[in-house]
Amino acid sequence: MNNTTIDIVLTGELAEGISFEQACGTIEKLFKLSTEQAKNLLETAPRVIKRGLDSETAEKYRQTIEKNGLKVVLKSDSDAAISKPIATPEAAVPATTVAVAEVSPPVSFKQEPPASTSIAPVQSVAATDFAGLKFRIDGSPDFGFVTVDLPRGQMLKVEASAMATMDTNLVMKTKMKGGISRMLSGENLFINEFTAENGPGEIGIAPATPGDLIHRYMRGETLYLQSGAFVASTPGINIETKWQGFTKGFFSGESLFLIRASGEGDLWLNSYGAIIEIDVKDGYVVDTGNIVAFTEGLEYSISKVGGYKSLFFSGEGFVCRFKGEGKLWIQTRSVGAFASWAKQYRPAKE
Amino acid sequence: MHVELVNQPGNTAAKVSLRPGEVCTAESGAMLAMSSNMQITTTTHKKQRGSLLKAAKRLLGGESLFLNHFEPLNTPGEVWLGTDLAGDMLVMPLDNDNLIVQGGSFLACDEGIEVDLGWQGFKSILSGESIFWLKLKGKGTAVLSSFGAIYPIEVDGDYIVDTGHIVAFSETLQFSITKAGKSWLQSILGGEGMVCKFTGRGTVWCQSHNEGSFGSLLGPNLKAGSKR
Repeated sequence: MNNTTIDIVLTGELAEGISFEQACGTIEKLFKLSTEQAKNLLETAPRVIKRGLDSETAEKYRQTIEKNGLKVVLKSDSDAAISKPIATPEAAVPATTVAVAEVSPPVSFKQEPPASTSIAPVQSVAATDFAGLKFRIDGSPDFGFVTVDLPRGQMLKVEASAMATMDTNLVMKTKMKGGISRMLSGENLFINEFTAENGPGEIGIAPATPGDLIHRYMRGETLYLQSGAFVASTPGINIETKWQGFTKGFFSGESLFLIRASGEGDLWLNSYGAIIEIDVKDGYVVDTGNIVAFTEGLEYSISKVGGYKSLFFSGEGFVCRFKGEGKLWIQTRSVGAFASWAKQYRPAKE
Repeated sequence: MHVELVNQPGNTAAKVSLRPGEVCTAESGAMLAMSSNMQITTTTHKKQRGSLLKAAKRLLGGESLFLNHFEPLNTPGEVWLGTDLAGDMLVMPLDNDNLIVQGGSFLACDEGIEVDLGWQGFKSILSGESIFWLKLKGKGTAVLSSFGAIYPIEVDGDYIVDTGHIVAFSETLQFSITKAGKSWLQSILGGEGMVCKFTGRGTVWCQSHNEGSFGSLLGPNLKAGSKR
């Protein structure tokens, strides 16, 4: 048996004459991923794509991949020790979930290294900080449901009433988070804390709305969530409510508060309808009812969609205008719009 | 105008990419998000040609009175469109063949298509659909939405579709209202009531679910007069 194990790292560099799209297509075929996952993989490169191979197999892989115009680096056992901790959570995610790429270390936009130069720094960050939990998302995007494995002693914060199933090893405690302001944010005042006190256990979490569920491993960045989008997080994530100001909150037709999530750890978000991720380069406009979350780098203001005629008659009313660079998540359905559709069937007041 | 549908069939959204100079006309309230260079104008009818009569007719058609026109300034832009209810969408290229669309199922179209109101006669009052139907004509792309999944049925001869399940049909088809069973009593007790019978040759697009049925199921559970 050969005991040096080799990892294959996709550098993200492309051979001459290969476009990004072509490379995505190759990855799609080679690793049987969806277009989106392939794109994500390439964007978040350098990434470890195969682990623990013997030198012969690794070389075969390298040849196949490089034949298709992608560059890879083979890393031997010694460095692998560093990247090991990443292996656990990544392996736990089935290839079907969108979260695959989200779990990986370099996804943080702040720390994104220049693609070619430094693989090592990224992994050392991972080695010291990464403590992601094993989890599985099923039923995405229509009926997202997440199951998280909690090791003994680990605590998970879950939106009140979102727990669907759990192991008997888990003990629940209800905590007030964010106090009064959280109550005003339209979110339940209470976050339940589930601790695996008597041994490891799993917990199934089902959000209130039929829709998508996404996971992010946060690494000190800050994310703003529409109240109601929070599902669960590990204790390292700080959940606060943030006052939007009267004008923003009032005119947005949404609540006056956003949830500010910061710190390090796992964070799960949900939506009504599917979630679409948008990379904002200079600006974007979103209907106020369709925002799920956005990164801190984006500034937003509430304004009317067009002229005054559009304000009253377009059916859009006020929209959120984002400026700056960052990521934005929107949902394809809106609870408010559904409710006003349902209203017409409401029996008249007696 | 290029249309891409994502997350089909339950949570469908349409991503409409526009080049400068192209205009996308959409049902009011359908926009989820758009790039910031997109200009939006609201008119009662086709861009530059607001006609109140036509708008009033469209209101009766179950559509909102106003349409939004999206046009990117200088650089290409994109608009995401969605619906209120869970359901699928359909991208329909039209080449001067006329399409009759059920009032609430119209989502968007490009500037090559004219949206007009088609009167289908008094029978449509009984059909359980909107009284008015939209007639799409011209050359271009239209996007239709549905409640539930959409499935096409090729009709050659006769075909019966339950009322409330029609999304659109080709103009080459004639339709009439008829009873589902042999006698009226049977039809009504059977819960089917009246059905639409299509005759001729063409395609009918049907939706798997019926807004009215869902609404009347939901209605009694909504408290009268309570807030939100």
